[in-house]
Amino acid sequence: MTETTQSTDTDQAAESAQTSDIEMQGSGQPLEVTAGETREKTRDEWTDYEFEGDAKFAVEDLDVYYGDDHALKGVSMDIPENSVTALIGPSGCGKSTFLRCLNRMNDRIKAASVDGTVELDGEGIYQDGINLVELRKRVGMVFQSPNPFPKSIRDNISYGPRKHGDLETGFLANLLGRSDDEEVEELVERSLTQAALWDEVKDRLDDNALGLSGGQQQRLCIARALATEPDVLLMDEPASALDPIATSKIEDLVHELSEHYTVVIVTHNMQQAARISDQTAVFLTGGELVEYGDTEQVFEDPESQRVEDYISGKFG
Amino acid sequence: MAGAVESELVSEDTSETEAVAAAAVGVAAILFALSLAALFELVTITDTVAGIPMVALLGALLILLGLGVVGFGVGSRLGYVATNPRPSAGLVAAVAFSGIWFVVGGLVASQTLGLGTIGWGGVAFVTGGLAFAVTALPREDIGSTLPAGLLAVFAGAVFVTGLIGPGWVWDLGWEQSASFNAEFTIPVITAFCSLLVSWGAAKSYGGFGARGRHVGAYLLVYLNALSIIAVLFLLVAFTVFKGLPGLFNSISFGLGVGPETTLFGFTFAWPLSWPFVMNGVALLNDVNGVLPAIAGTIWLVIGAVLFAVPLGVGAAVFITEYAEHGRFTQVVEIATNGLWSTPSIVFGLFGLAFLVPRLGNGKSLLAGMLTLGFMLLPLVVITSREAMLAVPDEYRDASAALGVTKWQTIRSIVLPAALPGIVTGIILGVGRIAGETAPILLTMAGSVAPPGSQTVDVIGGFRFISSPPFVENPELLQATSALPYQLYSLITAGVGQSSSIANIEQFRWATALILLVVVLGFYAVGIATRYYFRRKLQHE
Ligand SMILES: Nc1ncnc2c1ncn2[C@@H]1O[C@H](COP(=O)(O)OP(=O)(O)O)[C@@H](O)[C@H]1O
Ligand SMILES: [Mg+2]
Repeated sequence: MTETTQSTDTDQAAESAQTSDIEMQGSGQPLEVTAGETREKTRDEWTDYEFEGDAKFAVEDLDVYYGDDHALKGVSMDIPENSVTALIGPSGCGKSTFLRCLNRMNDRIKAASVDGTVELDGEGIYQDGINLVELRKRVGMVFQSPNPFPKSIRDNISYGPRKHGDLETGFLANLLGRSDDEEVEELVERSLTQAALWDEVKDRLDDNALGLSGGQQQRLCIARALATEPDVLLMDEPASALDPIATSKIEDLVHELSEHYTVVIVTHNMQQAARISDQTAVFLTGGELVEYGDTEQVFEDPESQRVEDYISGKFG
Repeated sequence: MAGAVESELVSEDTSETEAVAAAAVGVAAILFALSLAALFELVTITDTVAGIPMVALLGALLILLGLGVVGFGVGSRLGYVATNPRPSAGLVAAVAFSGIWFVVGGLVASQTLGLGTIGWGGVAFVTGGLAFAVTALPREDIGSTLPAGLLAVFAGAVFVTGLIGPGWVWDLGWEQSASFNAEFTIPVITAFCSLLVSWGAAKSYGGFGARGRHVGAYLLVYLNALSIIAVLFLLVAFTVFKGLPGLFNSISFGLGVGPETTLFGFTFAWPLSWPFVMNGVALLNDVNGVLPAIAGTIWLVIGAVLFAVPLGVGAAVFITEYAEHGRFTQVVEIATNGLWSTPSIVFGLFGLAFLVPRLGNGKSLLAGMLTLGFMLLPLVVITSREAMLAVPDEYRDASAALGVTKWQTIRSIVLPAALPGIVTGIILGVGRIAGETAPILLTMAGSVAPPGSQTVDVIGGFRFISSPPFVENPELLQATSALPYQLYSLITAGVGQSSSIANIEQFRWATALILLVVVLGFYAVGIATRYYFRRKLQHE
């Protein structure tokens, strides 16, 4: 991102006469504004969101770079606990990037560097000495395409707790009389029931998970994430690869889970966001958080003209 | 679609013409198989069948086939047969046919007519050019049948008229006075012509056009695969037939006829006496055997695998999962590939110069194991690395998102998913090292035909001692024999003639067969293992 393009974004944004000029400059770099989008300056108060209760996540001035590519720009938002927060926006605007910041999965991308603070229950997760295992136990994640392990359904569910040493199974544990086979059974049933999959698979727990349908696999992945007893569930477009029936099952599930879990869900389907979320954050091109607030307010009376255009389908 | 020819969706008059073309394909395939059989001397071409000389019969069949195919093409051109030919048979076919006819024309002009260089060159160019024109210029039905059919007719005529008969020899007149004789030439020409004709007939059967090309290509691919399998089968069958008499020499069943074995303090006698695999070579033996070499080969492979697999998989884990991708991994990759293509005698020399002096200063089983282990190592690294790279990153992401550490992820997700690929690599590698002769010759080989009492007993050889390293195994430091080495010595050096082996020819073939069985046995174990691990990764 060159200096000039950055300044056009902030200072001269309102001057629509220059739009075409600016877009020409963007060749090779992501365009700051897509076709059909009005130019306006983002105001801080659009992203202020007052809510009752505690914040699960507090994000302050978060910047993410992929090499020279500035993917997220100064994002600040508080995410309330035990609710569903939807992240929407056109593709490439940084929704997944933001989500990955919340459990530090960005650490796995070599080019990525993160600036700013993210607090989980008041503790900074980017400070030194953070225990990544503990963080990811508390913050579970479900990916866009279902990715169960090529193991049995039972082993998929018990994988996390076993690797954390919370459950002991296997030959040696059996020999020493410390095997937690019963606990495993309980855990598997509980997690699968929570993920609304138990009835469908209870007779085939030893079958390979790859034999399940796409929708079942995705619910298995949710159950697998729930098995480590997290507080937060991050979901990156969990239904985008699924058919309508499987999608509606996932939506119902998300709604139920929000009673006990903090769910942050990325979607590019605005109806879905409107149906299932309590609050909605709108990211727009260029990696900016433009508006954040109560879902009803964002969808019915957005403060930003760009957001209104996006929601009414003028671009995106 | 302007200009496109409507053809029927369901062709109804499949009956006669297609049956004729199918029959031609069938006869050509039989002819092809027959000529392969003749090439491997399963059928003798000097024979007569029902009073007719074999060569003449082949020739007549070729003429018949050629005429049939040409007739089909011409019939199609004249509209007697319903087909959908394209305007031309295409450039590939044209180049191929012109090349073939160039050679035919050149050979006839130089060898039969005795023309000089300029003469035969001119004739060759004319025939080649004609073939090109005949293939490329007319419609596909003529272009793909006429050159093939005429060639078959020509070859057939040469056979029938006896121009190339059973006694024919083409002396190349080179220094080694190499020559093509009839036993080789006639089957090869027949196989080649029948292949071409069957292709033309298959195209006719498909009615030319897209479907005809499909059928033609299908036939070629099929015949190719079949002949590869046939050659493999012949090779194995040949060894089996030659080896069986020696292998089962004086085998007998019955309580207590076999040698006695002591296991865990119990002594029992085998209910089977199989001298060839239970004896060594000794003066007093009724029937000599290769037991020491069998044991040597098996222990050799086991030792090499135990040495190379953990090291190789470990190295692959490091360069795939831990090392930064870049210059270093590239260098490692090039080095492993280079090591894999290093000739085995070089490994043998390394073993002789480096390992042998350090391991008791004599050729030993252990030195052989390590040398073969070094040979196996690069393949294990390469295939393990490929297999691990093929494990989708989604698995690693999912595991990391559950808070599982990298090493645990590798152990419980990546390695199990990569295991079938790793096992495939080990199978291929074992196939190579089990038959290696040169490295063993230099590092391990003792006497060529040891007596049964010198069979290595690695398990029984372990002994506890009171000084470090507290275990020793003299068996590992003994020179011994292995099947490929024994076979090599028996054949080339003529070793064994003077010793007590009665029928040396039979003994050699039986040894070869046993080597084949041992290697295939390792194969079977590997494939079963791979099947087991693959089943665990897949749903039914
Ligand atoms: N692993 C990566 N390496 C480099 N650039 C990336 C990577 N992931 C995402 N980006 C870039 O960051 C920007 C935001 O991407 P992303 O967060 O995936 O958007 P979204 O999920 O909203 O579609 C895009 O411009 C994309 O090209
Ligand atoms: Mg995304």
